[in-house]
Amino acid sequence: MAKILMVSDNDEKIKHYDDMLSGMSHDYQFASDNQMFFDVLQINIPQIILLDTNSASLDLSLLYRKINSLKENLITITLLKEDKIPPELLNISDAFLMEPVSDNILISTINVNMRRKETLTRLATTNQNLSKSLYQLDVLYNTGSQFAATLDKEKLVNIMFEGLDKALGFSVACVLTFKADNQPLLIINSINQISDRLLAALKLRAVLNYKSLFENKEMPFELDIKELQAIKYAKNPIDDYDFSILRYDNMFAQINLSDNFYGFVEIFRENEFTNEDSQCFHTIAQQVSMPLKNAAYVQEIQEKNKELYRLEHLKSEFISIVSHELKTPITPLKTALQVMSSGRAGLLTPDMERFLSMSIKNVDNFKKIIDDLLDMSKIEAGKMNYNFTDMNVEKTIEFVKLQHNSVVEEKGLTLTTHFDENMALVYADNLRIQQVLNNLISNAIKFTESGGNIDVSTKIINAKDITTPQCFEDDVKDLKGNYVQVCVKDEGIGIEEEDLPKVFEQFKQVENSLQRKAGGTGLGLPIVKKILNEHNGAIWVESEINKGSAFYFVLPVLSDKTTFWISHKQLIKQAKVNKTKFLTLTISAKGDSIEQLLKEDNLFNGTYLNNSLLEKDDDLTSLTMVIPDSDKHLVEFLKRKIDTILLNEKARYGKCDIMYSYTVYPKEK
Amino acid sequence: MKKILLVDDEQDIVETLKFVLEGEGYTCYCAYNGEDGLKLAKEIIPDLMILDIMMPKINGFKISRLLKYDAKYKNIPIIMLTARSQETDKQIGEETGADVYITKPFDLDEVLSTVTRLIKEKENV
Repeated sequence: MAKILMVSDNDEKIKHYDDMLSGMSHDYQFASDNQMFFDVLQINIPQIILLDTNSASLDLSLLYRKINSLKENLITITLLKEDKIPPELLNISDAFLMEPVSDNILISTINVNMRRKETLTRLATTNQNLSKSLYQLDVLYNTGSQFAATLDKEKLVNIMFEGLDKALGFSVACVLTFKADNQPLLIINSINQISDRLLAALKLRAVLNYKSLFENKEMPFELDIKELQAIKYAKNPIDDYDFSILRYDNMFAQINLSDNFYGFVEIFRENEFTNEDSQCFHTIAQQVSMPLKNAAYVQEIQEKNKELYRLEHLKSEFISIVSHELKTPITPLKTALQVMSSGRAGLLTPDMERFLSMSIKNVDNFKKIIDDLLDMSKIEAGKMNYNFTDMNVEKTIEFVKLQHNSVVEEKGLTLTTHFDENMALVYADNLRIQQVLNNLISNAIKFTESGGNIDVSTKIINAKDITTPQCFEDDVKDLKGNYVQVCVKDEGIGIEEEDLPKVFEQFKQVENSLQRKAGGTGLGLPIVKKILNEHNGAIWVESEINKGSAFYFVLPVLSDKTTFWISHKQLIKQAKVNKTKFLTLTISAKGDSIEQLLKEDNLFNGTYLNNSLLEKDDDLTSLTMVIPDSDKHLVEFLKRKIDTILLNEKARYGKCDIMYSYTVYPKEK
Repeated sequence: MKKILLVDDEQDIVETLKFVLEGEGYTCYCAYNGEDGLKLAKEIIPDLMILDIMMPKINGFKISRLLKYDAKYKNIPIIMLTARSQETDKQIGEETGADVYITKPFDLDEVLSTVTRLIKEKENV
C-alpha cells in the first residue's frame, strides 16, 4: 500500500485520517510543523502528501518550494478550505479537494493517483527499454554496414568488438580464431589490462570452450594450448583485471562460415545480460559470419590470382629465355648454309643449290617466328619500348613497299598505293608501324596468287564515319576525332565471316590449307593489334571469300590530345613495370570555369600542368592530369587541394565534379 | 695481305667467317672473348675488326670505345655484330665509334661487301 504523509497543524484531522488510512493498511505518517515535515522527508520520501492548506502555523510557501523540488517523485493531494487555489500550488499539486472532504472521495482520489503513477512508471520503463533496443538496433545496423565495407579478417573482428562494446558494453571480450595456416589465435579486447595469470586462464578457458563445442565430433582444427597465440588490446592500461572477471556474467557464441567453423566469441560484463542483450549479441556474432566468409573467399581468390600472375609471368619469362636461346644458333646455321650456297666450300649441283636455298628460307622463317615470340612476351610483360615521334604514314608505307618489291616481282604480283591528297601527321613509333605494315603486306603477298594486285591506300577519316564488320564494332566504338586510315587489300582466298574476329587472337590461326602452307606462329596479327592499341588506334578486317581481304588500321591524327593519352598510357605501363605510383586527376566543370580557375588560383602552381589535357565538350570543360611518381604526401596534398577547388568551384561557379584515382603498384595490402 | 681480327664468343661464327674471309684473300686472327680480343687488337693492329657485343669479360662496346679513343688504334674500322635489334643498341654502338652495325643473323654478302668497303675507305684516308 501507499506511504502517505499528512501535513497539517490540526490534530483532529491528523487523527481522523490516521484512523481511516491506517485502517486501510496504508503506511501513514504525519507532520504537524515545519521541522517535522523536513525531518520526515529527510528519512524517506512518501508516495503521497496530503497537504492541508488550512494550517496557519505552517510556513506554507516554504513547504511548497520543498514539494515542488520533489514533485516528480510524489503525488500531492491538496485540501482547500475555500474554492480558491493558491497560485504556487497550481503546478505542484496533483489533486485539489474542497473541505469538508468526504472520506470516499479522498480514498478514490488516492487510488486514482496511485494507479496513474504506476502506469507512468511502467511507461517510463518500457520507454527506457525501447530506447535501449533502438540503440542496439542502431549499433547492429552500423556494424552491419561497416562489415560490408571491409574484407580484412582482423578488421572484421575489430568491428565486431566495437559493435559489442557500443551495444552491450563489456569488461572483456575474447575471440578465438584460426589463421590461414590453421594457427590458433586468441584476440582479447578489454577495458583494463589483462594480467598474465588471467591471460593463462583465458587461454585455458578458450581451449576448454573449443573442445566442448566438438565434444562428440571431430575438431576442425587441432588446438593445443601451447600453440595458442594471443593478442591483447586494453583501453585502460593502468588498471588490471584478475580472476574476478571470471565471475562476471558472460555470453558465448560460435562463429560459423556456412558449414565451416571459424571460431567463437565470448564476452564478460559485471552487470547481468538481459534477454535482449543476448539476442543482440548473437545477431552481431551472426552478422560477422557473412563478411568473414567473403573475406575468406577473397583471400583465396587473391592467392590464386597471385599464383596465376606468377605463372603468367613465368610463361612470358620462359618464352623470352627460350627464344633468346633459340636465336643464338641461328646465326652460325645461316652463315654456314650461305657459305655452302655461295659455292665457297666447293661446287654445287643444281639439286644441292635448291635444297640449300630451301634451308636458308626456313632458317629465315624460323627467325621470324622467334622474333614474334619475343615481341609477344615483351608486350605481355609490358616491356615493349615505344619511341613515339611525329611521323608521316605515307613515307613509311613507301619505305616498306621498297623492301617487298623483289618478292612481289618474283611472285608475279603488283603492289600499288593510293594516298589521301591531304597529308596528316600521326604520333607513333616509326619502327613499330613499319612492323605493322610489313606484317600486313607480307600476309597479303602470301595469300595473293600470281597475277594479283595488292593495294595500300590511306584516307583521313573522322571516327564517326568509320565502318567495320559487326564483330569489330566494339574495337572502334571509343574512337574520337580524326584518324589516318590505312588499308592493305589483297586478292587472296578471303576469310570466312565467322573466322574474322579470330585472326587477331593469340595462337588462333584460322584453319585452312593455304594458311598452313604459308606458315607462321599466328602471333603476327595479335602483335599488330597490340601495337596499334598502344597507339590508341584500332585494326579490323573485311573479307569476301575468293575475292580477297582488306585489312584496315587507324592511327589518330596528331593533336595535343593524342600525345597526352598515349603518354598517359605509357606512364601507366611504366608504373606497372617499375612498380611505382602515379595519379590521374580529372576535374570537370560546366562552362570555362576551370580555365578561369587555372588563371585565378594558379592551380598546383603549374607544376603538374605539363602532363595535362584541357578538353572542351559542349559546355563541359575537363582538366585531366597525370602525375607520375607521386608519393603519399603529394596525394594528401592533392586531396586537400581537391576539396579547396570543390569549395571554390561550388561557391563561384555552381556545379563541379572531381574525380581522382590513385594507383600504387604493387597494390597496397 | 690485309689483316682482319674476329672477336666473338661463338666459335662457329668465328670459324665460318674465317673460312670465307680467308677464301677472299684476307689473313684472319681470332679471339673468343673480349679480353683476348683487345690484347690481340693492340698487338697486331688489324686492318679491320669484326666485334660481337655480348661477350664475357669485356663486351664489344667497351673494346670499341677503348680503341676508338686511343690515337694509335682509332683508325681501325669496326663492324659490330649483335643479336639484339633494339634501336638503343644501335645508338650506343654509334656513340662508341663502331663504323657499321650489323644485326644477327646477318647476311653473308652484307658482311663481305661491308668489309670490302671499309677496307677500301681506310686505304683512301
